Amino acid sequence: MTGTQSSRARDQERSNTGYEHLTPLFVEMAELADDEPRRAELRNKLVTGHLPLAEHIAARFSNRGVPREDLVQVATLGLINAVDRFQPERGTDFLSFAVPTVMGEVRRHFRDASWAMHVPRRLKELNLAINAASAELSQRLGRAPTPSELGKHLDLSPEQVYEGLEAGNAYHSMSLDEALSPDSDSDPLGDTLGRKDEALDGVENYESLRPLIESLPERERQILTLRFFRHMTQTQIADRIGISQMHVSRLLTRTLEQLRQGLLSDPEA
Amino acid sequence: MDPIRYGGGHDVAWPSLLWHKDCGYPGDMFEGTEDGSPEEIELRIAAVLTNLPIIRSLAASIAMRADFDLDSIADLRLAVDEACSTLITQGAPNSTLRCNFLVSPDEIRFVVTVPSTSDTKPSSDSFGWRVLTTLTDHTATWVDGPDDAESPHLVHIELAKRRVEGLPG
Repeated sequence: MTGTQSSRARDQERSNTGYEHLTPLFVEMAELADDEPRRAELRNKLVTGHLPLAEHIAARFSNRGVPREDLVQVATLGLINAVDRFQPERGTDFLSFAVPTVMGEVRRHFRDASWAMHVPRRLKELNLAINAASAELSQRLGRAPTPSELGKHLDLSPEQVYEGLEAGNAYHSMSLDEALSPDSDSDPLGDTLGRKDEALDGVENYESLRPLIESLPERERQILTLRFFRHMTQTQIADRIGISQMHVSRLLTRTLEQLRQGLLSDPEA
Repeated sequence: MDPIRYGGGHDVAWPSLLWHKDCGYPGDMFEGTEDGSPEEIELRIAAVLTNLPIIRSLAASIAMRADFDLDSIADLRLAVDEACSTLITQGAPNSTLRCNFLVSPDEIRFVVTVPSTSDTKPSSDSFGWRVLTTLTDHTATWVDGPDDAESPHLVHIELAKRRVEGLPG
């Protein structure tokens, strides 16, 4: 990050562009008890209302090899943390607290994922080829192919297929999928939601889980629902949403991790 | 971070699996020892969450080399991740996680064990358990009582993923 960019962040805080109406909500929220339903409502409003901020920060970090949508997600996570931790009675305004928090989250993401950006080109191409072949074979076979089927199809040795698959497990190669997936990412959520609550009945930490699931990005939530409550396979989900099976796999890994962390940090759970 | 130790259950340590002599030839996938008995791979690793990527990579690698289909590989990987993170959270401080993979032609069985100060089993009503049962064909958990007052309880989770019917090999 350069000095110009952070000074622009400061400018933005001073000549605040349209978040002022949200400030009273922080004060109201701070006065409510944790279990007050109104609190969750306010929190949602605050997060949603500040989303442009997260998008703005994510945009600054784009074109560095990490997909934009990932950055928006990470920044949004940072924003949620900022909303939760902000204490209006301290007298600072939210933006001067949130901007560094959100940026910190995005930087941490880069730091954690950066090793992965040095995957050799050859492996990236191999991974792309395997992704494409896997989609084609899944269509033909009506199920996910095995590594040996992929090898036969692509005329590769098992070791080459393994290499390509392993390259796909590395988190970074999200960006590979960016090249593959169409812009429109899913069919309407309508039919996957609604039934979610019912499906979750009987899960003991339901109360702590529900807000965590609700705070997931729409696509992650859809994938989670389809896999664990509709029992669709990853290949079926990939087909339905229009991304690769490997991408589904990575999103699920990450989503489950997030839910676990959320449950652990919840004292009620 | 604590050193990672690899040990073989049989006299087969896992590196010999990963670089299996037949792997270079199409069609000759790993699926057990030559006499048909299941091959055992054991990983002992510090029970900390930062080690999860190592464990799940190993799980995926084993399933991949056993030529499971991509969905099953991904499922096993997620399930192993979930089971291990459950036990790591429950384990005594500074303990070692023992991960055991048993690979036979029709299934991969995974048992993970952690020493714990409590004899509580992981809850089967949790969302995590739902994840495990969705992803695998068999799940079980149990606790072995300590042999003496000094020893910890041993908490286990067992999973099995079966090869999808109708696959070649």
